[in-house]
Amino acid sequence: MTLARHMRLLAVAVDYEFRKVAVFRVGFLVREVLNGVVEPLVMIAVYHAIYSQSTAASLGGWSYDEIVQYMLVVMFCRKVIIHNRALDVSTQIFEGYFTKYLVMPFRFTVLPVARWVQYTLLQLGVAGILWTIGALALPDVWPRPVSGVAAAQALTLCLIGSFCIFEMHLIVHLLAFWLDVVWSLLVMSNFITSFVSGAIMPVSQMPAALRDAFVWMFPYWAVCAPIEIFLGRLGTADFVRGLWVLALSLFALDLLRRFVWARGRHRFAGSGM
Amino acid sequence: MSAVLECRAVRKVFQTYERAPGLKGILSNFFSRESIDVVALESIDLEVAAGEFVGLIGPNGAGKTTLVKAVTGILPVTSGSATLFGCDTFHLADEHKRRLSVVMGQRSQLWWDLPPLDSFRLLREIYEVPQERFGKRLADYAEMLDVEDQLKIQLRLLSLGQRMKMEIIGAFLHDPEVVFLDEPTIGLDLVSREVIRRFLVELNREHGATMVLTSHDMEDIEDTCQRLVILEGGSVRFDGDLVELHHRVVGRRAVEIHLEPGTRAWSESLAAELAPYRAELVKHTPGALTFVVEAPRTQAFVKHLFDLFEVRDVAVERQPLEHLIKEIYSSREAEASG
Repeated sequence: MTLARHMRLLAVAVDYEFRKVAVFRVGFLVREVLNGVVEPLVMIAVYHAIYSQSTAASLGGWSYDEIVQYMLVVMFCRKVIIHNRALDVSTQIFEGYFTKYLVMPFRFTVLPVARWVQYTLLQLGVAGILWTIGALALPDVWPRPVSGVAAAQALTLCLIGSFCIFEMHLIVHLLAFWLDVVWSLLVMSNFITSFVSGAIMPVSQMPAALRDAFVWMFPYWAVCAPIEIFLGRLGTADFVRGLWVLALSLFALDLLRRFVWARGRHRFAGSGM
Repeated sequence: MSAVLECRAVRKVFQTYERAPGLKGILSNFFSRESIDVVALESIDLEVAAGEFVGLIGPNGAGKTTLVKAVTGILPVTSGSATLFGCDTFHLADEHKRRLSVVMGQRSQLWWDLPPLDSFRLLREIYEVPQERFGKRLADYAEMLDVEDQLKIQLRLLSLGQRMKMEIIGAFLHDPEVVFLDEPTIGLDLVSREVIRRFLVELNREHGATMVLTSHDMEDIEDTCQRLVILEGGSVRFDGDLVELHHRVVGRRAVEIHLEPGTRAWSESLAAELAPYRAELVKHTPGALTFVVEAPRTQAFVKHLFDLFEVRDVAVERQPLEHLIKEIYSSREAEASG
């Protein structure tokens, strides 16, 4: 299969995914528009309670205003980063619908990747609209990038990080070749990823041992580090380091996914056919 | 004609775990499980030539679907060899997959929430069908299957018959050389079944598509196939021309009598009385009996039945192929137990 054909098929599959998510209006609003908004707002309320009880002006190097700004940017990172419910590969494997793809002349991965592309494009659009509304409605509170370059670097890391998280979800989904507890694993992995990425609290607020470990993991470079670059707490050297961590992670995840796929294919009995 | 599909001594074994009953069993299975081998296919030798229309039948658990999965590359065989277009089925290249299609009666290949047309467009891209050919085939097939008006309606809103017709259109859009159909008429009404059978026969004749049809409905097989393969217990029990099989039943009649309520029940003594006719009781319900008897003995046999029972109704017809197939199944069971 040539690259051109891959890209053509990917474009058609992205269009197909857009049609799928737009079929039901309420589903579209909840899953595609409101997705990622609720948790950071809850965390802002939690931080409000913590800071109002504390006598210190800052906790772990973050003042209340800074943490609110951090959480607002988290909201947009969460929107752009693909979530654990966005794929249905494990259901397809478990219920046997997946069988049909095995006799078709294409790489199955094109379909989940198309879902990632569709999801990312749509979320970037929705995030852009929400960002504009927020900046116009709350100009004093709304976070602004320290520079255009910092914003571009943050977005780059966030998107590559999202693809790493997508690969991780896909690997967990492929475990459906063996297990029927994929959704439980996804919920667990999602919580751990949120914690490691700094989506619940900035990694720099965590104990030093965790901080030192998390900076070598891709989730950190998908959320916390891009936000700190965006807000001017980290610089270009960190961006380059992040690119390296993400590139190595992507390479390792891709190898692991291929391995799980090949082993799973030998095991698949095509249930439900 | 050259063979497009070849199976040589194909064996497929699934591994599963034996589960002990009761609470003690649950606890012991949690810590140690004993694996057992389930043989789904055993020494399958099969050749299908280009352009053939083969019916694959067998009771539930006979291995039909496993065989279809093995020869389409969905699962690997444990031993033996299965080749399609001369290539190992589990390692088919895209160029070979493009010549193949599979229709699963119980599993849709089209997206449930989208109109079939959207799914067809994705299939067109996957199979690289030129736009012009795609448009022509879609129009032709939709007309043949009488679903032109349903192409833009969400799949979930279509009837079962219309959905299956859409599945079949999707499977044929890339003009496959070999098509496997796994119970495509399951649950459909008579008219839809008839339309689908006609469509399949026409594509087999006009396009020379090789077809392997799995069905529990003997009418599907009789109306479409030239050759019949009967699977039972994972092995081929019969592989031959459907016409030849028909010849076996031409000289026999099925006699079905419906009894008046309260009439005498079937018993061993009655069996002895009917023994001279060499009739075989193939179906027995409280209100009806069905026998198979050789054609020349039918008249005397029916007369004798009227003497023995209070008959409310009688029907005499050529022995349905189903009875013969049941015989083939049961004779093999007898062989196995004997």
